Amino acid sequence: MRLKLKNIFLLYLVVSVLGLLCALLQLGQPCACPPAPGAERSRGGARGGAQALPTIYVVTPTYARPVQKAELVRLSQTLLHVPALHWLVVEDAAAPSALVGGLLASSGVPHTHLHAPTPPERRPRPGDPPWVRARGAEQRNRALRWLRDTRTPRDGGVVYFADDDNTYSVRIFEEMRSTRLVSVWPVGLVGGLRFEGPVVSGGRVVGFHTGWRPERPFPLDMAAFAVALPLLLARPGARFDPQAERGFLESSFLGGLVTPQQLEPKAKNCTEVLVWHTRTERPKLRQEEQLQRQGRGSDPRIEV
Amino acid sequence: MLRRRNLLTTLLIALPWALLLTLWHQYPTTRYLSLLRKETDENVTSKAFLNGTSALREEGLPSCIRQQQSIGATPRIIQNYVYSRPPPWSDTLPTIFVITPTYTRPVQKAELTRLANTFLHVQNLHWVVVEDSPRRTNLVSNLLEKAGLNFTHLNVETPKSLKLGLSWIPSHTPRGTLQRNLGLHWLRDSFSNTAPPEGVVYFADDDNTYSLELFEEMRYTRRVSVWPVAFVGGLRYESPKVSPAGKVVGWKTVFDPNRPFAIDMAGFAISIKLILEKPQASFKLEGVKGGYQETSLLKDLVTMDGLEPKAANCTKVLVWHTRTERPTLVNEGKRGFTDPRVEV
Repeated sequence: MRLKLKNIFLLYLVVSVLGLLCALLQLGQPCACPPAPGAERSRGGARGGAQALPTIYVVTPTYARPVQKAELVRLSQTLLHVPALHWLVVEDAAAPSALVGGLLASSGVPHTHLHAPTPPERRPRPGDPPWVRARGAEQRNRALRWLRDTRTPRDGGVVYFADDDNTYSVRIFEEMRSTRLVSVWPVGLVGGLRFEGPVVSGGRVVGFHTGWRPERPFPLDMAAFAVALPLLLARPGARFDPQAERGFLESSFLGGLVTPQQLEPKAKNCTEVLVWHTRTERPKLRQEEQLQRQGRGSDPRIEV
Repeated sequence: MLRRRNLLTTLLIALPWALLLTLWHQYPTTRYLSLLRKETDENVTSKAFLNGTSALREEGLPSCIRQQQSIGATPRIIQNYVYSRPPPWSDTLPTIFVITPTYTRPVQKAELTRLANTFLHVQNLHWVVVEDSPRRTNLVSNLLEKAGLNFTHLNVETPKSLKLGLSWIPSHTPRGTLQRNLGLHWLRDSFSNTAPPEGVVYFADDDNTYSLELFEEMRYTRRVSVWPVAFVGGLRYESPKVSPAGKVVGWKTVFDPNRPFAIDMAGFAISIKLILEKPQASFKLEGVKGGYQETSLLKDLVTMDGLEPKAANCTKVLVWHTRTERPTLVNEGKRGFTDPRVEV
């Protein structure tokens, strides 16, 4: 072909038509646009598509003791890595405290601060051994009430009960996000075992691997399951029974929601441990107590 | 008067380009490029940059990602950002080297996991994990690879004789000493005294709790900085005594306040420059009385009046000496009930 102006124009036309066709093909595909540029610019990569993700509602009952602030601080540092998360902190107290309020405000985690006191007859008594703690049933029920009051089934989302002394890998939150009814996974260092969890066969839960009271309808720890919010809202009667026997608190709640066969196994068919039931020692404050008896205790205005 | 042919030609040329321009902003790579350009203009921390690349990254990428853009923003506590990876490395911020001795026990993976979740929020942090074991274990290696942090993985085994040596006073057996010394040794090997990097060394045990503010307090340490630590010495917190002029003049402790440095391992940080200047300074192994391990290192580095008080003149508690209960694995029985192939 001779190098005529006509040919050059023809070539140019062909190239631009091809480019146009490519662009039109792109039009049919899902758009990778960022949402509102100003607000979303300050969010991290993990939150880039936050709008589309079902929200995880993390319910944490907490009570005042020396290590409370430390526990909540390190839990908040984990939760800060999870996009589309709403933290419901429920204090076992008659009124919200400044310590927890201040901590939540500066944590950077979207949250709601609630409180619900445990009735005196269910609180640990002075003579009880140190491992006896209040069950947290009233606090979790308070959070359930908040969800029922403020959320509709259309909202979608998942509810997870996360105690403030456990350890969570960031991955467990991504595992639970796809819950349709109730999902389950193993929990490390609980029930007197290295880990306790469901036995899965053919992608379904067929039994439970536990060393303690296997006759429980749901021999699971509180941190071992997550409930889809629409299911919770469809069962207004589902709650934690504060009168339930020790170890049966989870069953009292789950029994009103699903049968064991309906549980959805996560964490690679329940073969990976992504959450651990760690417990923090009570710190030895003997010198502090001595000083306080002498009226020379540490400055209570310095928050610990 | 325009001829129809010329008009047609112009239209045919202009139309494809007009349509292409309107669709330009939707195409991922061009958005990525425009964001890069905007960054250098607005000097925003490059979260948007990570936005584009996070889809490309998988979990197992090498930990040290050095990016050429210097952020230039002053270090701040993370309030509004969420990182699934650590903040981008800055060429201007001093590095915080965190030395963590660790040993195998049931809660080890949990402790290191939550520690990693904390460190992922801190900019320019390099984690030196030293295992008390004859070989580097798979558990720790995999955890460090997947965490996404800048790390160095070392190991040295404490000989049995040393472990049992002072066991008649079990609370005074210095734990982690060899491991911390190995961490210091690695620093001295990796960096030269003639061109020391800007940075600070901090000894962080794997069961304590650290606030994010603490790391920003220690970052600009000139020699040795100190602050209060909660739940040590039988008190709500132990703290240095600071004069109104802002100098450390003593120690607010009940247990032996006359020690040269009555401070917990988590209560101080040392600048790299000082560590490299004094290559013989390390933790003593033998003959160390209970509570004197920190002194055995600090006495060769600094005197009390050279200490820099942080945390609002030592009035805020930013680190807690929490301890994790040992889980009772009573139901495992003699032969182990749970599948040993599942890592816990």
